[in-house]
Amino acid sequence: MDLAFSTQERAFRDEVREFIATQLPEDIRRKVQAGDHLVKDDYFRWHRILHERGWVAPGWPVELGGTDWTPVQRHIFYEEFAYGWAPRLLPFGLNMVAPVIIEFGNDAQRARYLPKIHSGEEFWCQGYSEPGAGSDLASLSTRAVLRQAQDDSGRDVYVVNGTKTWITAAQWADWIFVLARTDPAAKKQEGISFILVDMRSPGVTVRPIETIDGGKEINEVYLENVEVPVENRVGDEGAGWTYAKFLLEHERTGTAGIAGCRQQLETLHELLERESIDDQRLNEKIAQVEIELEALAFTELRTLAAESAGKRPGPESSILKIKGTEIQQAISELALDALGPYAERHLAPKYFNYRKTSIYAGSNEIQKNIIAKRILKV
Amino acid sequence: MDFTLTPEQLLIKDSVARYAAGEHAGTEKWPQFAELGWLAIGAPDELGGFGGPLETLILMEQFGRGLVVSPYLSQVVLAGTLLRAAKRDDLLGSLVEGEARYTVAYEEPHSRYDPSLVATTAVRDGDSYVLRGAKVRVLDAATATTIIVSARTGDEVSLFALPAGAENLELVPYATEDGHDAGDVRLDGVRVDGSAMIGEFGEGLSLLGLALDHATAALCAEGLGLMALMLEATVQYTKQRQQFGVPISSFQVLQHRMAEMFIEVELARSMAFLAAMTLDEQHDDPVARARGVSAAKVQIAKSGRFVGQSAIQLHGGIGMSEEYKVGHYFKRMTIVERLLGDADYHLGRYLASQDTKAKIPANATVA
Repeated sequence: MDLAFSTQERAFRDEVREFIATQLPEDIRRKVQAGDHLVKDDYFRWHRILHERGWVAPGWPVELGGTDWTPVQRHIFYEEFAYGWAPRLLPFGLNMVAPVIIEFGNDAQRARYLPKIHSGEEFWCQGYSEPGAGSDLASLSTRAVLRQAQDDSGRDVYVVNGTKTWITAAQWADWIFVLARTDPAAKKQEGISFILVDMRSPGVTVRPIETIDGGKEINEVYLENVEVPVENRVGDEGAGWTYAKFLLEHERTGTAGIAGCRQQLETLHELLERESIDDQRLNEKIAQVEIELEALAFTELRTLAAESAGKRPGPESSILKIKGTEIQQAISELALDALGPYAERHLAPKYFNYRKTSIYAGSNEIQKNIIAKRILKV
Repeated sequence: MDFTLTPEQLLIKDSVARYAAGEHAGTEKWPQFAELGWLAIGAPDELGGFGGPLETLILMEQFGRGLVVSPYLSQVVLAGTLLRAAKRDDLLGSLVEGEARYTVAYEEPHSRYDPSLVATTAVRDGDSYVLRGAKVRVLDAATATTIIVSARTGDEVSLFALPAGAENLELVPYATEDGHDAGDVRLDGVRVDGSAMIGEFGEGLSLLGLALDHATAALCAEGLGLMALMLEATVQYTKQRQQFGVPISSFQVLQHRMAEMFIEVELARSMAFLAAMTLDEQHDDPVARARGVSAAKVQIAKSGRFVGQSAIQLHGGIGMSEEYKVGHYFKRMTIVERLLGDADYHLGRYLASQDTKAKIPANATVA
């Protein structure tokens, strides 16, 4: 057993740290540190900087603009984002639709979509959840019907109808990837296809949803008789559910947000020091969360070591999602507890906002189902 | 980073697992332990010793899984670490051979878990010391040939090796709830030669601190083994047990509880490793040691209580039955939770270690 980072890994960490310290625009760093909402241009500027350095898509194959980093290097890379107050880029294009296109798309699709995702020229959002399909995603009712286009072109199009909801960044997106039912007669998982929809298509409407913290990050997207060329379907018709599951497993890695939690705790400690707050009961609560965070950090390293040894990220990553989000929420509560009345103005929105973490990306209850079924096999 | 076991570590794991899975009643197995080399883990090379905290972890986890009742923790890890740190290879040699058996008496009626609260005194009288005081819950005292006692020598605390049968030493042995044995010790003017001192004059607390850290880490590994087995037993049982015409494992409320047990076991596993690694790599830094080991004990205590209570609950009535194994694992886990310091004690120790040490820098090693 050898559990220390290697010399090369430490050198890599220094390189990333230096890069973020010198290249991340100061106004963006300040926003992230203050917990303010970023705007599209913030993401775009940081995206371009990473793009120029060749670090925008670490998980992609090298020939498509990715890196040859090991899982440990990727882990270090994102840890340094947190320590340097750098924003994580929106995952919908880079980490969600792109891996699906790379794995299951055709050459024409790879050529059409990947370069613009890579360059940041096109923003994406995710069309999964529906008002009637949340945790039971496979019961989705958005329909895509294949027929000839209404114009004289004679080409085949899907006519898509339905409502997608909880969509982050839809207001900025050029594209949305949609799960839609193409065969209503098939078993519910089998009649679903994975379709790419241009947000400028006639019939697409975006309505913002204001959240309890006052934020406007998420939206509802209405699709009304939207015509989508048939070549925008990724992979086989009816195989969309397989691709969706592939994507969700990609999404799960890195959700623990451990480095971010360390930063938040550090900020909390600084705050307590600045205000000369020293309360034994509070200190004990903070210490308990810190210990759980250490336990989770080490668990993540164990997962990472298994991944480095060639194992694909498995259902164990559900632990990281559940505990990571529980700890993130606990820290947002501690911050409220720490400052008492003075906290409300600045910290309450964050506490409200963080309630989302145990709901999104497969609710923590769904994650427990996954552990029970796939690890404990009950 | 590499979490795989070396071939030597795999050998230990297999041999201990084989032993733990078999019949293993009582302490008459001690010669076998010596023969298998288990008493030499952590001892110096010259004495045939090998390995360290990670090897101890591997052994203790298997002891936990097999619910092995053994004085290993007190007589090898606690006493052995102490003798090694005190550079007493003469005594350690007989320990490794299985000839002499040592235990450590450091807790007193008022001290709870804190080794620095010592009322027992050792008063110098010519070339000898005279010890007076009371020690409680001395682990595995009945089988020990020598009891190492902490006593106040003025402002400092020093350690003394007392023969178990010394004059004016009264030992009241008793069985503990988990089938182990312990004893209360009264020292009513026990006279020993100055050469009975273990370590330097006044070195008692630092030696004890180190030995207790090693024993606590080992105990965390035993707790890990106990809870891993309780989880497995619970999963197995709920798949067999039928109610309402179906296996009760098909009920989501039970599935989620078992998923939570699984998470706790994995967090406990991480912290047991972290404790062992801290001892391995930061052996000479008492603050880092306290931080790593106490954090681990807090986690093991919390996870162990949850996993143990859940295991009994999900077994239902059979979990309460003396005949069935899970109740015995739960009882041992309950003792492990408190032994060598409960969660509150170690949380306090963790907090105290923070005052003197900066936050973990981002580029620190994993330990």
